[in-house]
Amino acid sequence: MSIAKFLVRRTLQAVFVVWGVVTIMFGLRAVSPGDPATLMLGEGATAETIARVRAQEGLDEPIYVQYLDYVQGLLIGDFGYSWRSNREVEAMVIERIPATLELAIAATVVALVIAIPLGVVSATRRNEPADYGATLFSLLGISTPNFWLGLMLILLFGVWLGIFPTGRRPVGLVEAIWTLVAFGSAGDLLTWLQHITLPALTLGTYFTALITRLTRSGMVDELGKPYVTATRAKGLPAVLVRYKHVLRNTMIPILTVLGLQMGTLMGGAVITETVFNWPGLGLRLIDALDARDWPLMQGIIVFIAVAFVTINVFVDALYSSLDPRVNDE
Amino acid sequence: MREDVLRVEGLSTRFFTGEGQVNAVENVSFDVREGEVFGIVGESGSGKSVTGLSLVDLVGSPGEITDGELWYRDAELADEVREEFPDVVDGEYVDLRGVPESVRTSLRGTSLSMIFQDPESSFNPSLTVGEQIAEAVEVQQRASSRPRSTRARTDGEEYSLGSLVLSFALPSRRYVSEESRERAIELLELVGIPDPVERADEYPHEYSGGMLQRAMIAQALAGEPDVLVADEPTTALDVTIQAQVLDLLSELQAETGMTILLITHNLGVIARMCDRVGVMYGGEIVERGTLEDVFRDNVHPYTEGLLGSVPDLESVGGSLDPVPGNVPSLLDHEMEDRCYFADRCPKAMEACLERPPDTRVEADGDHVVKCVLTDLEYGESPPLPDDHFETEGADASDGGSNESADASDKSASPDGGDSR
Repeated sequence: MSIAKFLVRRTLQAVFVVWGVVTIMFGLRAVSPGDPATLMLGEGATAETIARVRAQEGLDEPIYVQYLDYVQGLLIGDFGYSWRSNREVEAMVIERIPATLELAIAATVVALVIAIPLGVVSATRRNEPADYGATLFSLLGISTPNFWLGLMLILLFGVWLGIFPTGRRPVGLVEAIWTLVAFGSAGDLLTWLQHITLPALTLGTYFTALITRLTRSGMVDELGKPYVTATRAKGLPAVLVRYKHVLRNTMIPILTVLGLQMGTLMGGAVITETVFNWPGLGLRLIDALDARDWPLMQGIIVFIAVAFVTINVFVDALYSSLDPRVNDE
Repeated sequence: MREDVLRVEGLSTRFFTGEGQVNAVENVSFDVREGEVFGIVGESGSGKSVTGLSLVDLVGSPGEITDGELWYRDAELADEVREEFPDVVDGEYVDLRGVPESVRTSLRGTSLSMIFQDPESSFNPSLTVGEQIAEAVEVQQRASSRPRSTRARTDGEEYSLGSLVLSFALPSRRYVSEESRERAIELLELVGIPDPVERADEYPHEYSGGMLQRAMIAQALAGEPDVLVADEPTTALDVTIQAQVLDLLSELQAETGMTILLITHNLGVIARMCDRVGVMYGGEIVERGTLEDVFRDNVHPYTEGLLGSVPDLESVGGSLDPVPGNVPSLLDHEMEDRCYFADRCPKAMEACLERPPDTRVEADGDHVVKCVLTDLEYGESPPLPDDHFETEGADASDGGSNESADASDKSASPDGGDSR
């Protein structure tokens, strides 16, 4: 099967997934208690005002009409208005994407930079102190809850040592880079780095631990395969056997996990963003939930779904270029 | 007489497993002459493959070569290491066990190469066949362009992690050069792969088993080795393809003059290919000599059994099932201090309860047997009763995990002998 056909099939599947998410979200909203007009207007609103708003929002239409209206709106990019702030949902989602994206990428970078070397060392020095250390680290990393780790990092590095700020995002990466390029001032970039370090570590720890374990076990498996002996038998330098052959093959399955995790991170790490008051999608989602701001909630979740499946299609495409056997199946 | 290219003396390789120490190769000695095909034959689990891996220093953990000398003839290498390691040099021969690991590593592929039983699992599935063969070419290119001095060999890995990282940024710094890729295509053509230019860009899963075994042979030839260790090169192939691959090996040997150490359980392959042969049992070579010595004038009852020609053995009659019982457990604590074959041997005597020494059949000959029958006639020492091992030796013959595989091996042996 050609790569184009493969991608078309995966994209169609992705569309179905997103449609499912949209429908489930709509259904949840329909069955959840509380009248939206009352939520929008507050307790003191008169019955007349409520009726007017209901008519205006189409809330007195039959449910399937509301559903079709909603899906139709989504198709042309109209996510509706936030009930709470009366702003366009698209704008409210888009303005939060950079913060979430920055955090997701930073956490992934932390994870890859730490996890892969750690996994390789662990696998090539099996049952030596370095391996025990790496295994212990990944066990702790996987079992430590995010909110606790975040708070402890804040306490240690923010409060006691005062090295890193404890939260917020005073400047975005794009602006910081712009300042550096246009004015030659690295100050903003440093500020950004300072502010993202703790959230990225918090969010990245679980991820790091996971990838370390996967790298170790994958590499141990690969090292035991006959082709490794055969490759060594032809005299190839150990570095090439280890990285060009073994690590490359180990990375193929890890890539899938990486993609899934990136998708999850795109949804905004709700807990980490809350702990560090990091103005990403996760924090906005929590706010929307608190306010029962259904259009905003739906908008964010649909965005997350789209991001998730897009990344997965992308990973699948990459996968097929790394593992030649995928295309033939 | 041709000179020895490899002399193996007292080689022992052990595996230190959770169940105990496994004596996979036990005090094995043989010599391989330049340009010949030396065969090693035996059942699965007899230590053949580990012997092969020991020669190219690829016994992986938990295995380890614990004893023995591997004298390899290489005048140039001998000159290099003579000063630093005088004890391991004898004329043109160097004991590879006595030189640093980096020297052994530098010989791999270019002096001693190995091909394996299952070509499909012996290629990396995610790189093209051409690329993998080109890597082997590159190893050879770099080895021949580098000054062959001990210093260069022992200074450690010349291809570092840094070089690898750099090669991602600069394609010109890649390990495999364009010339090596072209040479890989030539090699594919040499081993009889049609459309080598296209096939070079295909992945192992796009090849058939026979084609892939040819490709593996091409890969081994890329290093222009003096000695090729071929570990069951045809076992995983269809019978018709087997013959083609063996013919190919013979042709290539005639062209290059390389020496082949052929490891197989198939006596037919041995008869067809080899000049001399060693029979392995229980981690030992129990009989070695020329084809004639082993096929016709054999002394060891195991060899006899393996050949399925047991004319003087009334108890078995005309049956072709040569050796009843299973290969012994090679676990150290289950191995008794006796001839390991005694419990299956139709001619077991009391003298067999001691370890038999390697004995030459003729004082100046090449036919060496590890059996008391070399010097004794059956009956000169009191025969052991049939149930001798059923009580005390029950454990020893029960162990091991290869029984089912052994059975199929044995059944393959007699017809192999007939096809000679």
